[in-house]
Amino acid sequence: MPDVAVIFGGPSPEHDVSVLTGLQAARGLTSEPAGSSTTIRALFWSKTGDWYEVDPALEAEAFFEGIPRGATRLQFVAAPGGGFSDPGGRLGRARAIEFDAALVCCHGGPGEDGTLQAALDLAGIRYSGPTVAGAALGMDKLAFGSLVAGAGLPTLPRVLLAPDAEPPSFGGPYIVKPRFGGSSIGIDVVEDFSTAVDRLGANPHLRHGAVIEPFRPDLSDLQMGVRTWPALEFSAVERPIRASDSAHILDYRDKYVAGEGMAGANRELPARIPSELEKALRQTAARIALLAGARGVARIDFLSDGQEFVVNEINTVPGSLARYLWVAPTVPFATLLADLLAEAQQRPTHAYTAAGADGSVLHSAGSIAGKLG
Amino acid sequence: MAWPTSLGVIGATRYHQGVAWITVGCCVAACVPSGLRWLRVAQREHYLPGSVSRFAARWWRLTPVNLILAVAALAAAGASVGWPIAGVVVAAVVAVGPIGLSLRGRTSSLAWTRRLRVLAAVWAALEVVLVIIGVALGLAAPLAMLAAVVVPMAVDLACAITSPLERRLSEHFVREATERLRRVDPTVVAVTGSYGKTSTKGHIAHLVRPARTVVATPASFNNRAGLARAVNEHLADGTEVFVAEMGTYGPGEIAELCRWCPPDVAVITAIGPVHLERFGSEDRIADAKSEIMERADDVVLVVDDARLAVLAKRAAADGKRVVRCSASDRTADVCVVRSAEGSQLSAFVHGALLVADVAVPPGVQPTNVACAIAVALVLKVDATAIGERLADLPPVDHRLQEMVSETGVTIVDDTYNANPAGAAAALGVLADLVDVPRSAVVTPGMVELGTRQFEENRAFAAAAAAVASDLVIVGRTNRRALEAGAASVGASGAAVTLVPDRDRAVEWVRRHLDPGDAVLYENDLPDHYP
Repeated sequence: MPDVAVIFGGPSPEHDVSVLTGLQAARGLTSEPAGSSTTIRALFWSKTGDWYEVDPALEAEAFFEGIPRGATRLQFVAAPGGGFSDPGGRLGRARAIEFDAALVCCHGGPGEDGTLQAALDLAGIRYSGPTVAGAALGMDKLAFGSLVAGAGLPTLPRVLLAPDAEPPSFGGPYIVKPRFGGSSIGIDVVEDFSTAVDRLGANPHLRHGAVIEPFRPDLSDLQMGVRTWPALEFSAVERPIRASDSAHILDYRDKYVAGEGMAGANRELPARIPSELEKALRQTAARIALLAGARGVARIDFLSDGQEFVVNEINTVPGSLARYLWVAPTVPFATLLADLLAEAQQRPTHAYTAAGADGSVLHSAGSIAGKLG
Repeated sequence: MAWPTSLGVIGATRYHQGVAWITVGCCVAACVPSGLRWLRVAQREHYLPGSVSRFAARWWRLTPVNLILAVAALAAAGASVGWPIAGVVVAAVVAVGPIGLSLRGRTSSLAWTRRLRVLAAVWAALEVVLVIIGVALGLAAPLAMLAAVVVPMAVDLACAITSPLERRLSEHFVREATERLRRVDPTVVAVTGSYGKTSTKGHIAHLVRPARTVVATPASFNNRAGLARAVNEHLADGTEVFVAEMGTYGPGEIAELCRWCPPDVAVITAIGPVHLERFGSEDRIADAKSEIMERADDVVLVVDDARLAVLAKRAAADGKRVVRCSASDRTADVCVVRSAEGSQLSAFVHGALLVADVAVPPGVQPTNVACAIAVALVLKVDATAIGERLADLPPVDHRLQEMVSETGVTIVDDTYNANPAGAAAALGVLADLVDVPRSAVVTPGMVELGTRQFEENRAFAAAAAAVASDLVIVGRTNRRALEAGAASVGASGAAVTLVPDRDRAVEWVRRHLDPGDAVLYENDLPDHYP
């Protein structure tokens, strides 16, 4: 196995869940027998955007108050030859933090929207999970919904909600969601359109854009894991259980506050659904994996009444890396992690090229001042 | 100079020299466990110089066995003049005593932080210097004994020596925090008060959260280093409102915090006799708390306290926008009152009803809720939204939290409360429980009340003895005051049980209370209190 850096945390509302995912992954990697000869590093991204190296064997309680004791502050340079380093290494000389591949465990915010991925690309670091484009698309509910609708796959109508927008063609009640954001944080159910517009001003999570779609209490969630290495593979279908029947939506608390992150939530797994429905979900998931450029392990969320279904969203860095979904087929956590790292090393996220920029344009150009005149 | 056990004195026999070296060795060895013990106390008491000696005096005085040991050690030190081997007794007492103050700690073990390592090094250096001086002067044994006995004072001295150094080191973090605050530029809501700070901070975050992105400082981060750390580690870039708790151990501290973390909205929840031994009087506490208003444009004050009402007038005269909060006066800007039955609250804004009879968790105090509503209004949160959020105000941890144990005993957990007003309210909750055959109050009493400590604890015990059937007194810190209070009620009052520590108290509750009975745990002291 390669030397690994597990990256988790980040300035995101899902910071805490990401810490849990990261610590689980670090534990999963170190408990592996082959792990003895390799180095597992834990790189913690703080809420305020600073980088630290921490002990990968830490428990969640070490992060209760913020930066764990004994953490080493790092520098991160997004340029060739850059990457992570400890500026105060031995005798004041910077010590480079070296590893073969990074395991990205960041949920929400810049860790899942392509920002981190772009920085890692620029630093020449190989990493697991979505590419810049895949992450950015997965985080944009409007773009993803339009992509699914455009491909002719079943989905609920989803439109931009703006202060001066016309009421949508579909009627209420509505569900209002932040346009950008990974989890169910900031989601509201409203009866009519004017209330939805009012929420724009009141709900801080909607400040950077919001989408509106029909609220369908008759539909329930179905979720499926997809992984892309060594080959495209689908997990069993899961039906998450809401805390109470009165709960409108599967909320953040249901998912994460139970204690262990996603791996600790209530669920029916595999979900008891007709085999035709499961087959249809699988075919749709395959199309989406291709359309959305899935990489690593992703979770695709559907809504269904038990017969019909619609695509809801894709989670490109799912909580607990969706390890709990792999019951049929069975994929041990260690295998899941090893495959993520193999893909990180063997399937590059990008290939920048400067071919064609051979200077001919510069040769034939006149003076800059001439162009401006 | 005719100290017979000392080294290098002409005429001292080899025997005497040997005994002297044994004494020196034993005393130096005894300094190690003793040092660890008192370093832990220093850490628990926020490294305030003087606090370790104060605790040492408490420990050696308050329990009979420690008093006997202390007297024995002093006698042995005296006896060593004529009978050198007695010096070993001194070392032994210092090594094991005071009995009850553990090395590792049950509630809070010694954490080897950078600061503690520096403190330990300075303390050890002081002790070594004392022993070396002894050797140089030919008084090795007596000065080694002295070194062992004065460990608490030496730790205090080390605290005093390192405090300017620590300040310089924290300067870097404060600069970083200042820069971050400037860049993120949130609206800063600063909360202080003798009590209710943490609860109010939680209520504010709860009421404001649906409308603005809010970050509140973690519970205990309320001094210079803590606030800087909260900013550096929690104030993410998109934060719109930062709720900062500001604590104070002395005049000028809050003003210093406000210099680099200037509040836009200042809140003072209450003035009470907390940390009274450091301030001297409640008026001086009010003065220190008022520093928080100096830079703020908006000020939220609980005017039920006459001193805060005076501050409100002063702030208004200074041209600040003042929101007056009250738990009784409905003409105040924000008034929150308890409804007739139980733990329901009604809130009024400028005399008009905002919400009526909202059920809230029992530990929630009306004045704290009033302050939170006031802040939410200042931050332009919609009034109806505030009203809706009040209905699901979360309980405050360990503040009058009611639960039923596995054995069916109703537990009222008020262990985070440390003030007389809150303690009286807790007794009210216990008294309001119906159909309870037997009820107990378990408490070590309240501390840091200066000259009022005895009287406040006596009064609390008297009230508790009138309400409950049993009063379980934990530890020795306030035992005499609590016993006196219980005795003042007479035979009709609660039966008194004395236990040495909290574990023994919990054991007592398990053994003596049956399903349907109730127990109030009022305050809890960390185990560096006797």
